[in-house]
Amino acid sequence: MATMTGGSKRPEGRGGDRPQGGPGGGPGGKKKFFYRRKRVCKFCVEKLEYIDYKDVKMLQQFIPERGKILPRRISGTCALHQRKLQNAIKRARIAALLPFATD
Amino acid sequence: MRTYEVLFILSPQVPEEEATTLTTEFKRVAESLGATLKNEEAWGRRRLAYPINKSNEGIYHLLVYETTGGLSELDRRMKNSDRVLRHMIVRVDEDIKRADKLAKKNPKKERVRPAAPQAYPPAVPAEEVMPAGSEDAQA
Repeated sequence: MATMTGGSKRPEGRGGDRPQGGPGGGPGGKKKFFYRRKRVCKFCVEKLEYIDYKDVKMLQQFIPERGKILPRRISGTCALHQRKLQNAIKRARIAALLPFATD
Repeated sequence: MRTYEVLFILSPQVPEEEATTLTTEFKRVAESLGATLKNEEAWGRRRLAYPINKSNEGIYHLLVYETTGGLSELDRRMKNSDRVLRHMIVRVDEDIKRADKLAKKNPKKERVRPAAPQAYPPAVPAEEVMPAGSEDAQA
């Protein structure tokens, strides 16, 4: 299981957390603990229950450079809100408020 | 009673007068379907996130309707109009209702929360103990 999480960690390094994770290196096990913070669901904390597809600024926080939807394991969003966020992002994409993909 | 958000994007080549006549036309159609206008927002020209029909810009317009019937005729009109780059009709009343319900429930959670922040401050040593449990939760 430890190797599994290790593998899933790699895309994260490529995305947002490169500066922290990159140079440190060292044995895989130790590195894993380095940038683990207790993540909380942004929507639960701020009590934003309705996720609006028109609120581009808010949605953009969950869109990395590539234009993909930020996975829950990185953003810490709870399952319920991730699902709503996902629907909102997809609606925003149809309305050309957000890109389907960028390169 | 259902609430619908009608978002449509007009082609940037459409002159302003025609844009207003088109929107009034759409509003007229919606009214004839028995819908009442709740809110209207004209966002004006906006850059599109990706080109649609080779144009990089669009004139956004949002109409919020409340109705007991559907808006299928409006949907059809927008689909057939070549001035409309994109349109989307979304039903929002259920989501908002559900959100309100959850918002009422939520204040209880806030009382529990003050205990949680203690998990942050201990920088490294304490965190090394934590992941064992949190990792299981993830998998």
